[in-house]
Amino acid sequence: MGLSRPIFMVLLAAALLWPHRAPAGPISFNSALTLSSGEFVFREQGVLSQSGDDPSGADRDRRSIASLSVLGYGVDEDISVFAVLPYLDNRLDVTTGGERRTRETSGIGDVRLFGRHVVVRKNWPARAFRLSLFAGIETPTGEDNESDRFGRLPASVQLGSGSWDPFGGVVATYQTLDFQIDGQLAYQANTEANSFAFGDVARADASFQYRLWPRTFSGGVPNFLYGVLEANLIHQGKNHDHGADDGNSGGLSLFLTPGLQLVGRRWIFEAAVQLPVVQDLNGTALESDYVVRAGFRVNF
Amino acid sequence: MLTLRIWAILLGLFIVPAFAQEGGATYDLGINGLSCPFCSYGIEKELSRIEGVEKITVDIAKAVVRVRMRGGKTLTEVVAKKAAKDAGFTLRSFAPASPK
Repeated sequence: MGLSRPIFMVLLAAALLWPHRAPAGPISFNSALTLSSGEFVFREQGVLSQSGDDPSGADRDRRSIASLSVLGYGVDEDISVFAVLPYLDNRLDVTTGGERRTRETSGIGDVRLFGRHVVVRKNWPARAFRLSLFAGIETPTGEDNESDRFGRLPASVQLGSGSWDPFGGVVATYQTLDFQIDGQLAYQANTEANSFAFGDVARADASFQYRLWPRTFSGGVPNFLYGVLEANLIHQGKNHDHGADDGNSGGLSLFLTPGLQLVGRRWIFEAAVQLPVVQDLNGTALESDYVVRAGFRVNF
Repeated sequence: MLTLRIWAILLGLFIVPAFAQEGGATYDLGINGLSCPFCSYGIEKELSRIEGVEKITVDIAKAVVRVRMRGGKTLTEVVAKKAAKDAGFTLRSFAPASPK
């Protein structure tokens, strides 16, 4: 087992309670803001995904705990590059032939490498706007052929896809001292490996962050507490398995994501819960119950 | 006469050292785009790379960064403008700081 539930809960509690400092930005996706030239940022985010509303009758219950470690670097004032290293602990409970089975594995997942380039930059006193393009690739670093005593694990439990999957999109950020708005359109083309390909993912995200505290300024740079509300509209195509579409995969989901963010000069601590409000999935595709995200960022 | 001496001693003890602590030249930089605490670290880091910078103080609400130089060192508008650009911001104004 990688990141156990007790350890994750400790991290979650630390993220919620630790006194801090750092930058604003969406919690469930990235902003258009780039790093300053020569600046590094490290972001650690724990993600608990729970799915259990199974229409298939197999009483499937899937739980994934991910620890996402992100390192970013500002090449110059317009270009930043990032690497995301996931550590996953995946588990699927399913009833087969009257027997309850647990399928699980843990380890390094697929590393994502991407760059972001500011194409529109507007600065005003205490306000800023950025429009950025980003592009990258998800590399097949995660094990995609894990087995247990029941045989090969299903694709949804594997640590990696085994494929090289390019992605890209556009993201805009408007930031003031009082609030920040971010919007993103993104697409990931999932390619085939081992005669299997996950459906492509298209998503539209929006984030609104409002400064709750301090209400007034008295000089200097105080820490900011933001209330956060995000929306994530995600469409995934059907998986492709041995030349045929899997009619029980993919579909459309809309999540609403309330959260809190504490931002200082060097640190951000943040936590949010993604709650599904619309799930129009294909066939017996497993529905999401919730996703919890908590973590921190530090720049140096 | 005694009162004057006492005042002179007090001046020597408190007021003169207070001015001495001000160090070298001080500048107020108006920075556009500075709109969150995290941003302030970026501009602080860029300005701190400039030779002779002794202290940087950000007032985020006023979008003003005060830069104090070590004795004898000066900051030019061209250098300040480049630091702001490298941090992703725009230099709005540049002026020697007015004494408080």
